[in-house]
Amino acid sequence: MSLVNNIKSYSETLELSSDKKKLLNSFLSKGFPTTKDEDWEYTSLKKIISKDFSIEKNGGEVSENKLNKYSLGFENKIVFVDGKLISFASINSVNISTFSDFKNSKSDSISNLNSSLATSGFTITVDKNSIIENPIEILFFNTTENNFIQYRNTISVGENSEARFIERIQNINCTSSLVNHFTQINCNHNSKVEYNKIQNNTSESRLIDTMEINQNKDSVCCVNTLIFGGSFTRNNLNFEQNGPNCESNMNGVSILTDSQLADNHTFVDHKSSHCRSNEMYKGVYLDNSKGVFNGKIMVRPDSQKIDAFQANNNLLISETATIDSKPQLEIYADDVKCSHGCTIGQLDKDALFYMRSRGIAIEEAKAVLTYAFASEAIENISIPEVKKVAKKLLAQKLNVDLDFSL
Amino acid sequence: MLKIKALKAGVENNLILKGINLEVKVGEVHAIMGPNGSGKSTLSSVIAGKEEYQVEEGSISFEGKDLLELAPEERAHKGVFLSFQYPIEIPGISVSNFIKTALNEKRKAIGLDPMPAKDLLKFMKEKMNLLEIKKGYLSRNMNEGFSGGEKKRNEIFQMAMLEPKLSILDETDSGLDIDALRIVANGVNKLKSEENATIVITHYQRLLDYIIPDFVHVLYNGRIIKSGGKELAHKLEEKGYDWITKQTDKE
Repeated sequence: MSLVNNIKSYSETLELSSDKKKLLNSFLSKGFPTTKDEDWEYTSLKKIISKDFSIEKNGGEVSENKLNKYSLGFENKIVFVDGKLISFASINSVNISTFSDFKNSKSDSISNLNSSLATSGFTITVDKNSIIENPIEILFFNTTENNFIQYRNTISVGENSEARFIERIQNINCTSSLVNHFTQINCNHNSKVEYNKIQNNTSESRLIDTMEINQNKDSVCCVNTLIFGGSFTRNNLNFEQNGPNCESNMNGVSILTDSQLADNHTFVDHKSSHCRSNEMYKGVYLDNSKGVFNGKIMVRPDSQKIDAFQANNNLLISETATIDSKPQLEIYADDVKCSHGCTIGQLDKDALFYMRSRGIAIEEAKAVLTYAFASEAIENISIPEVKKVAKKLLAQKLNVDLDFSL
Repeated sequence: MLKIKALKAGVENNLILKGINLEVKVGEVHAIMGPNGSGKSTLSSVIAGKEEYQVEEGSISFEGKDLLELAPEERAHKGVFLSFQYPIEIPGISVSNFIKTALNEKRKAIGLDPMPAKDLLKFMKEKMNLLEIKKGYLSRNMNEGFSGGEKKRNEIFQMAMLEPKLSILDETDSGLDIDALRIVANGVNKLKSEENATIVITHYQRLLDYIIPDFVHVLYNGRIIKSGGKELAHKLEEKGYDWITKQTDKE
């Protein structure tokens, strides 16, 4: 059975509200996107959706030990297992509640599917005028083998507040999974939000992740996407700047081996004047891996004094690895500063010789330079623990040992 | 230790070294001087094994072994060290990690286990004192944002850590102010022993006031046109390169 058929028969067992029914029908009429859709030109879902996934099964448990293994050790933890909220540390000025109103602003079929099938959504609210010093970890554990599951969260950060998040989706007691994850972040007036995604799931995991970020005036939002694991990762990261003086920052690192695929689609919608966006994605592709980058920047007609920067730098380490990189700039205002750069290359020859002349063998020198290349996008992460784990995973994947410091 | 015989080498069909003969024995300091474009940096690159340079004729042996057959890293393992005229910036790698990697790669090549972190730290501190290097500098990225002087000092620091048998200092004095020059030269002198040798490549005599050479060679148009003792350097400073190059041009 194909996934669409499984979804159909599963949905017949549900009593869906009329809103959800509408969303489901909208998904069913369009189906999963194909490579004929512009947004999915380079990334095919064909193999995944022909697989026989069960849908929305839950009920697993996660031992304390395993939980600690995948946590960075922060006290502020929100833990979901197969979509159920399992624990929520009490954090001053932070509340969590469920919602059942599954409207989504984008009407793409993947988001519609999420809205129609997600059984519960959670809203994490940070009160206004609150600075949450310690990062908040959001952990999602999948425990059911071969399960297709929808995760749905909204994060709302009040005006003049600051919060930082670390998200991780992890398979435990199961290897194969497909997750459709939808997160909405509302950054209210003068708020500051940092969201870190550590994507290092098992080699049979697949993830379609969509983030909708709405920014109000004077807000700053930074999303760091770190892709190490998983066989298939598609990240849709959409920023909407709805007031003046917003800043949107994105850093991304993908280190892919074997036949991994990672696709980063970003979209910054500059709907207001005097705003900034900064984007740096680095990709390293080994073996038969495949990378896709699509960075769209839209500057609306009355959005003057925009400063937008985008960089996508890639290293192809093997001859069979590929990258499709596509910057997309649509600028309808005249007083803006937009720049973008995309590079696909090999390692710097002079640096390689420099290292070899110091006795570092060519393979090790290449690995160290690759590490150096990728780690640049990690430097901007403000949480030392995240930086550390990212560098550790990076070094592990490249098989280098660089944790010596004075 | 190092024997260069009738070496002809160049880059992309452009012959730069047109027959170099040079022998460096253990414990000696040789200075190679010459005007710009004479082939000084080509010579050092060929010894270190930079792949863009092709050797057309001649040989280089190091402790009796054919150096030209070895990869750059293998030459380093044998004890050849080049202090770069323009050290490369490597963002993302700290000085300490770079040196740790280099040191342990060399140890691996000669069958030793990696140096324990504690010993490495002690060893680094010792060499840092020698070169008057401050602690914070080790966690900076390799040469990134370094001043000219800091870059050169970093080269000599690596030399101190890697303890080569043959060190080639390519224009180590360029970009150094007088204080940095003194510190760098002091470091080189302290590292000098009866078991190693140094080739100092320089345009000016200035550095040779601090690092006293046993031999001075003048390289011009791809050939060594004159060799002598340290007094040759003083003569060059006084009379300029024209003094000998004009004569060579006539011939």
